Amino acid sequence: MQRLPGLGLLLGLVTLTGQATAQNATVLYNDRVVTIEQTLPDASDLWVKPADLTRINDFVLKPEGACLDDLCVPVLQDRDSDMYVTRRGQGWFNVTGLADKLQQAHVTDYDDSIWSFGAMPLERRSFLRGGEAPDFALPDRDGNLVRLSDFRGKKVLLLTWASW
Amino acid sequence: MWQSIYEELKSDNFEIISLAQDAGGEAAAGPIFDAAQVSYTAIIDVNHHISALYNLVNVPSGVWIDEQGKIQRINEGTYAAVHSLGATSFGTDEYVPIVRDWVAKGAESRYVWDLEKVRQSIIQRTPEAERAQPAFRIGTYYFTNGNDAKAEIYWTMAQELDPTDWNYLRQDLQYEEGGSAGPQWRERRNQIESTGGSYYAPLEIEPAPPN
Repeated sequence: MQRLPGLGLLLGLVTLTGQATAQNATVLYNDRVVTIEQTLPDASDLWVKPADLTRINDFVLKPEGACLDDLCVPVLQDRDSDMYVTRRGQGWFNVTGLADKLQQAHVTDYDDSIWSFGAMPLERRSFLRGGEAPDFALPDRDGNLVRLSDFRGKKVLLLTWASW
Repeated sequence: MWQSIYEELKSDNFEIISLAQDAGGEAAAGPIFDAAQVSYTAIIDVNHHISALYNLVNVPSGVWIDEQGKIQRINEGTYAAVHSLGATSFGTDEYVPIVRDWVAKGAESRYVWDLEKVRQSIIQRTPEAERAQPAFRIGTYYFTNGNDAKAEIYWTMAQELDPTDWNYLRQDLQYEEGGSAGPQWRERRNQIESTGGSYYAPLEIEPAPPN
């Protein structure tokens, strides 16, 4: 297999400096790999600018809270809270705090600032209770994005296998 | 093998989506797709996303999805036929006939499960086991970027968070001495089967398939 240079090592060189916007981060969300240029250094949580929140998980920060489609998680923005703080006029959103509120599993490599998120339980209800097939969007071997929902009106046999 | 079944059934509003759960990507799974000359939808799922999404813990696994996106069977070890490997054989010839029956009859097929049976057949995960996939995902990220030492840490973490998941174990063993079906795998399989468990969720084909 062709090996790429050690990106992890590179990220590891970026350390906590205590400056307000020094650290970058890599966020793994579904099949996305999102590079965040600036985060607010914190020992346990991932704080990003509101625009980066949307790049990570499609949530949009609105006056009523962090929203995805019909779901809105209330977030105070006129003063600091465990979900949102303002530093030097810049707002910062706590992505892991949102995940915890939504009972969404996550795992972090703190050395390299890599943050990985699982599925949201809210999105899983129709599958676990209603037997609805979860939709997905994955590239086929030619790079075309395939969605299960592209096949509405057909029967689909989903098969997993592996070379190992 | 699935290719010939696809050729036979595809005109009847039927699609196969085949997902290789392979962290090694195109290099690992591509040649196998090529050798089978597949014309159905072929995806290489490096992060095992589909197994995470559908709560599947082993390969091969099959899911039936109807025209409205409802699951009609799930979590079955599904081979297209009996395969012989030296003295041992695995797989079954009984699954393809019931797929044919389903494609022809839809909801009227006797092999379509009701919602209650579908729900019972979906594997439930503890909150701890839910963390296995994000851990595995970090491991695969490192693996793809050439950091095998860090990959091993997170692939191992995934196995510890969800010890019931064969995919995480066997993906990891592929890159270790003995391979994914070597002594370590055999030992785990024997452990589970000797206490009355099964490696695959047992295939329930009742009544016997049509000829």
